[in-house]
Amino acid sequence: MELLTLFFVLLLSLGIGLLAQWLPMRQQSRPPWSQRAPFLGGGTPDSHAWSRYHIRYYPMTLLLIAFEMEMMFMYPWAVVFVEKGMKAMMEMGMFLAILSVGIVYAWREGVFKWQ
Amino acid sequence: MNLEELVLPVLMVFFMLAAGAYTVAVLDRVIAGALGTPQAGSVWIAPLARGAWLMTQHANATEAPDWRAWRLAPALYLSLAAIGLAVVPWSGSLVATDLATSVVLWGSVEALATVVIFLHGWSANTLFALIGGYRYVALGLSYILISMFVLIGVALPAESLQFTQVVASQGELWNLIRQPLGLPLFLIVGLGMTFWGPLNLADSADLAGGTAAEISGPPRLVWDVARAAMLVAFSGVATSAFLGGWLGPWLPGPLWVVIKMLAVLLVLLLLGRLLPRLAPERCVTLMWVVLLPLSFIDLVWAGVGALL
Repeated sequence: MELLTLFFVLLLSLGIGLLAQWLPMRQQSRPPWSQRAPFLGGGTPDSHAWSRYHIRYYPMTLLLIAFEMEMMFMYPWAVVFVEKGMKAMMEMGMFLAILSVGIVYAWREGVFKWQ
Repeated sequence: MNLEELVLPVLMVFFMLAAGAYTVAVLDRVIAGALGTPQAGSVWIAPLARGAWLMTQHANATEAPDWRAWRLAPALYLSLAAIGLAVVPWSGSLVATDLATSVVLWGSVEALATVVIFLHGWSANTLFALIGGYRYVALGLSYILISMFVLIGVALPAESLQFTQVVASQGELWNLIRQPLGLPLFLIVGLGMTFWGPLNLADSADLAGGTAAEISGPPRLVWDVARAAMLVAFSGVATSAFLGGWLGPWLPGPLWVVIKMLAVLLVLLLLGRLLPRLAPERCVTLMWVVLLPLSFIDLVWAGVGALL
């Protein structure tokens, strides 16, 4: 029943969000082409969204994947933590320690410098 | 049966969505007025007037946007806010959706926010919007780990991933005091998730509005409402995770939740008005090198606290 409610919340909010845009706009004409040029602070629109743009944080996103996988183990771990006691604490401590070495190494390599 | 289990929870969520977004707009104007920005007209009417004005405005378009994604992104962000609000417990029994894994669901809302905001920047097919989207991904991927560690810390003493259990576990002492690092870190996450104030990298003024640079009229209305609603959903989650949710003397539970949510909103909006915007390239370093280790400490603190 909870999932069904959640599904209705999702469906209705999507519907409201789309209708609030579609209803007032269905009579509007599209703006002229001169207005549809990308806004570049008044400069001539000679660069566009397909221009080359170097995202310099790629290595950071790779490091994130390692941690995201760890999160998956952490959810069930959180539920049984008190029951298992010190053993669970040590296990996750070791896991986090190994991942932390990765952070320190990435930091040394300048992964978190985004400039 | 269907009325109580299906219609009422959904109505509750949407009432909170509307009332919450309006409250955020009014509060923000009151704070701006108190800090010296002159406000034209009544702060109570102004949000409604602006909403009605946006509704009647002509919507801008770009040269070859991804139309479907461009219109979908604001609506999806609104949906994420609605789902966030649906897991906030108002009392032991009054919860829109009392999932056994509501903490995980909120985590997925945070992760999907990154996708939706990038979609908004990308689908406009213009440079500034796209750069705003890229900036947000850097921020979003940096704060999400902090948020997850802090929320796991809250789940440890509760021995459950259910927000009602998390609140119930704070009967003796709120997590605000039991895990002092938790709420400050989580507030930073909240500012990042709604790209508000100091962490407004996606829609910042130096990008002429970033991902929202090219939208006007009804799409901008939905986008602004969704951002405000997300702030409300976040304050609801922060209230249940750290401020003891419905727990409190004298007053009925739901009233306590409202008071605490207003307090969290007030803090967030004040921070948004008082702090300068962070340089995007510094925020990645700050999140990974300073705040992430702090969230490790918070988790160990929470773990030791739960075992003692």
